Amino acid sequence: MLSMKNISKSFATDNVVTHALRDINLDLAEGDFVSVTGPSGSGKTTFLNIAGLLESSTSGEYWLDGEDISKLDDKGRSRMRNQKIGFIFQSFNLIPDLNLFDNVDVPLRYRGFNAAERKKRIEYHLDQVGLASRMKHLPSQLSGGQQQRVAIARALATSPRFLLADEPTGNLDSSMAQSVMSLLEDINANGTTILMVTHDNGLAARAKRQIFIKDGQAQELRQGQHNIHNLAAV
Amino acid sequence: MLELGPMLRALMRNKIGALLIALQIALTLTIMVNAIFMMQERNRQMARASGVDEQNTFYLSNTVFGENYPLQSALARDLDQIRKTPGVVAATQINAIPLSGGGWSMGLQTKPGDDVDGTGTAIYFVDTQGIAALGVELLAGENFSESDISWRERSSNKWPPKIIITQTLAEKLFEGDWKKALGQTVYINNHDPMQVTGIVKSLQSPWNGWDNTEHASLVPSQLENKGSRLFIRTEPGRRDALMPQIEKMLADSDKQRIIRNVKTMTETREESYREHQATNNILLTVIIVLTLVTGFGIVGLAMFSINRRTRQIGTRRALGASQWQIMRFFMLENLLISSLGVVLGIGGAIGLNIWLVSTFAMTPLTPGLLLVGCAALLLVGQLAVSYPALIAARISPATATRGRA
Repeated sequence: MLSMKNISKSFATDNVVTHALRDINLDLAEGDFVSVTGPSGSGKTTFLNIAGLLESSTSGEYWLDGEDISKLDDKGRSRMRNQKIGFIFQSFNLIPDLNLFDNVDVPLRYRGFNAAERKKRIEYHLDQVGLASRMKHLPSQLSGGQQQRVAIARALATSPRFLLADEPTGNLDSSMAQSVMSLLEDINANGTTILMVTHDNGLAARAKRQIFIKDGQAQELRQGQHNIHNLAAV
Repeated sequence: MLELGPMLRALMRNKIGALLIALQIALTLTIMVNAIFMMQERNRQMARASGVDEQNTFYLSNTVFGENYPLQSALARDLDQIRKTPGVVAATQINAIPLSGGGWSMGLQTKPGDDVDGTGTAIYFVDTQGIAALGVELLAGENFSESDISWRERSSNKWPPKIIITQTLAEKLFEGDWKKALGQTVYINNHDPMQVTGIVKSLQSPWNGWDNTEHASLVPSQLENKGSRLFIRTEPGRRDALMPQIEKMLADSDKQRIIRNVKTMTETREESYREHQATNNILLTVIIVLTLVTGFGIVGLAMFSINRRTRQIGTRRALGASQWQIMRFFMLENLLISSLGVVLGIGGAIGLNIWLVSTFAMTPLTPGLLLVGCAALLLVGQLAVSYPALIAARISPATATRGRA
């Protein structure tokens, strides 16, 4: 469902060209759960941004669910993000002025669902993450773990085929992190493809596939190999 | 899909900034609408016809300093000279000039008596060419004849038996029917009878701010004064050439007097309404400055709001908002704030207008002007927010993953 061929990303300033990603090749199948690890500044977030259509690659081919992303304009990319991709961010990125109901409602409105459909989806997904009783609460009234659950509910509300998680447990304590990770595993078990960037080797190891990025280059690890590479990175 | 509900709820949680801008819009609307209303009132006043053929008339002052000066024969000679000048249509001696600010007023009443209320009127002493020189239109009755014209000394309190009045004055005196006035006797100085022998369509008084400025009367008298004014009407297009010519002719013909203040009616009108024009310019400046300040306020609030919500905008983009949807979000948010301001402003504008009407006896504000003011401010709001909204729309969706909290 996702295919990247020779994806590169470079940033040019006046005199210097920085290569953030070099010739990334990756194929994800339906139902994959892929973790992406690597040291800080290695290009993980850039990789995630390109995969999530948040920014464009400098060169290479990217196909998502049968569509050539390079041929899409901004509107087309926005539509793809809304319809095919769900995002989970490290800082949750909930909108502080909106209650939980309205937060989950945000992508549904962009999708153009009618009010009844939106309400059904919001209630269902908030219920799935155990927060149906707190729909009128503001994000600031929730713990970090609860906020991330709301963010997951928001990501899933549009029924995306592809979930991108950027350090989803980075701001959570270990028990909350385990809880969120279990939720992601359940979601994956239900058929959603997940690409997760993480610093946590333990969580990365729970993914079905692991990719290690260093100096903008990606390498897929065999099971159990992550420790060696991560040690090398340190 | 519009986000009115969540947007309103979010605004309610961050009231202060939005409320301040709404109040600024309300204040601007209040002042703007009433300022435009006052300008319209002035423009209406300035647009009133004086009744005089302003484009082709001018006047001059004749000040005699010679002793034992033959005032009567000199005036006859001067008028004769002027009237014989090619290009001159008519000329008359006159005691006051319409719109000039200085003149003579009296009260007219339809019954004699000290206790009878009179109606104020400006008095213009003219001769047989008065109507032609002013260029006023005689609607009914007849002009004065030579035999009607009497000499009036400076200290005299006598009034001739005939008077020509304006249509508006006739309506005021005779219960709205000006035609009734012709041939009727009116009383001046409470007891002195004068017969209305003519009615002119319009002739303004010397005072543009007077409520009864359309009340004017022509009286057939020539003034035996050392200081007098001559009012001259020329053929179309010849006024400017004849002014210096006649001034020189009069000055050369008699060295015992001074000819000065040669002025056109066009200049007189301009001077008369100079204060009105200046006030209008000030009001217009106030409107422009206020509108700009409000516009900048909206830009400022929107820029602040966008800077504060950069991550949020990135997140919305990541969740599928197109650039247009982000732009629309901020424009809609502004529309909500502006609408609140406009609603408050309508109340303010009406309140201020009620006070203006009761204090300065003005006519009330028209709903049309209020609606135009509302629409203008909503448009200003949308224009002001369009640039910040464009900046917001250009925020990259990748902002959502940058700068970890």
